[in-house]
Amino acid sequence: MTTVNIISLNKTYPNQSAPVLKDFSLSIHDGEMVAFLGPSGSGKSTLLKLITGIERPDSGDIQFDDSSILNIDPNKRGAVLMFQKSYLFPFLNVEDNIGFGLKVQGASSQIIHAEVKRMLNLIGLPGIEKRKSGQLSGGEGQRVALARALVTNPKLLLLDEPLSSLDTEVRINLQEVIRNIQRELGVTTIFVTHDLGEAMAMSDRMALLLNGEIVALDTPENLFHRPRSLAAAKFMGVSTFLSGDPLIVQKEACSSSDKVFAIRPEHIRVQKDTCDQSMPGVVSDCVFRGEYVEYLVAVDGTHVRARMSMPAPMFPHGAQVFVKFPREHLFEVQNQESA
Amino acid sequence: MKHFVTSKFRYILYLVLVAPLLLFIAYAFSTRWFFPQPFPIEWTMETFQHVFHDSQTIPSLAQGLWIASLVGLLSLILALPAARVLGLRKFRGRQLVWLLFFLPTIIPPLSVGMGLNILFLRVGLAGTIAGVVLAHIIPTLPYTIFTLSSAYARFDENYEFQALALGASPWHIFLNVTLRMMTPSLVVAALFAFLISWSQYLLTLLIGGGQVITLPILLFSAASGGNPSVIATLSLLFIAPPVLVIAVTARQLNQHGNQIREQY
Repeated sequence: MTTVNIISLNKTYPNQSAPVLKDFSLSIHDGEMVAFLGPSGSGKSTLLKLITGIERPDSGDIQFDDSSILNIDPNKRGAVLMFQKSYLFPFLNVEDNIGFGLKVQGASSQIIHAEVKRMLNLIGLPGIEKRKSGQLSGGEGQRVALARALVTNPKLLLLDEPLSSLDTEVRINLQEVIRNIQRELGVTTIFVTHDLGEAMAMSDRMALLLNGEIVALDTPENLFHRPRSLAAAKFMGVSTFLSGDPLIVQKEACSSSDKVFAIRPEHIRVQKDTCDQSMPGVVSDCVFRGEYVEYLVAVDGTHVRARMSMPAPMFPHGAQVFVKFPREHLFEVQNQESA
Repeated sequence: MKHFVTSKFRYILYLVLVAPLLLFIAYAFSTRWFFPQPFPIEWTMETFQHVFHDSQTIPSLAQGLWIASLVGLLSLILALPAARVLGLRKFRGRQLVWLLFFLPTIIPPLSVGMGLNILFLRVGLAGTIAGVVLAHIIPTLPYTIFTLSSAYARFDENYEFQALALGASPWHIFLNVTLRMMTPSLVVAALFAFLISWSQYLLTLLIGGGQVITLPILLFSAASGGNPSVIATLSLLFIAPPVLVIAVTARQLNQHGNQIREQY
């Protein structure tokens, strides 16, 4: 069980003018899983490299249980990694792969054998000790990689987009497996992803990263329903922003210094008849997506994206409609990049 | 039609490769073979026994093998750090470094050999096995660096990071992860170095100065003597180690080929 404190971390790579991480600070509690969500180049993977010791920060500190780890060798930090690919050593079988960390620590072959067996039961793949890594499917490989990472009883588990190369079915299944094992063992975990759904399904808290800074940090529920900043709202899939009194749809979501309100696409109603809190619009696009219909409606010179659960009306391109923004679903967002 | 032409071409290629070997065998194991007879009149082991009983044959064979093996090993050790940097890192002047490493293949070996001879005479390495080994490393190094840097370019460093995070020391990772994953390419690179060193005549003659006798030196001397049976026997002896080494390392050669195919 480890508490992780990241304090004012700064990192700029040579030959790059912009910093990858800017005054980055975060505390992660014992046994907590924090998801880092952000686009490519937001600094997610760099943060993992700094924690594991592959890279060194320009300034700042990283502490495990209030002790700095910056001067500890990377192989002695107790922070284990799991990547997008399993990176199982191809010249070793499953047992030797999982037992790699224990062997390095000098554990006896009996202990290694018993621990490997325990981990294989934990990941739900008993009896595959003698298989070669090439004989495993993508999902099985990732499970074995998880077992290899956890068998050494690490202080911190770092997951760098471990599920992004897998099929949807395997991916959802592994989300549950990783989450359950992480909770059972109580290992503090950082989970890096660019998949919003995955981050929400797996983490206790989510940190939204943009240009090396945290723009929002909260529970998945709070971030989804009530993101506090404009940047966080955009991150969470909100694309409609309104301002003024009466409310008008903003053309540029951050151009005004007035109060800015946001609304999730699934709360916007598109209907044929007018009513309170509605504005006239013209349908630009209407796409049937199975469980819901997605509309793109031109309202007051800008486009509003709405999403209505089935059964929902289908409108042809160019149809005159009314777009309703129910007040109870509007929430105020701060018109600044961080909150 | 296309298949017919390619298969014909293949058989012609096989013939070109095998024909000299068959001639060597015929000459080495016969005493009388006159035109227009298609085969020798008399088969014998006499020449073979004569060559083997010559006091220089076995020592030159052993010395050549020892030198080529040492060159293979040293070339690998010297090439690995350079190949790693060239294969994994991008930096300014990388092309220039490539050019520098390949200079020995561009500059005529005679110039290199003469220069080295003067230098080695001064430092006392001329006429020694150590001097010959060092001289052989010069033409072999570009090939080992090229082979290993291609292997490093295909190598994913995340395997090393994975092992590091699991607690392995850098030395443990190098020996038990990196080298093991690169084994096929290491074998191929060592094979290159071995074969180049094994067939070196000029550098061995210049640096060895008659003190270090390898099989190519004996072969050239026999060639000037003009006895076809002796030349053929020595040639067969000269071919045997490379063929044996290639046969032993066939599995690694195949894996190396597969790795390259997977890359493209």
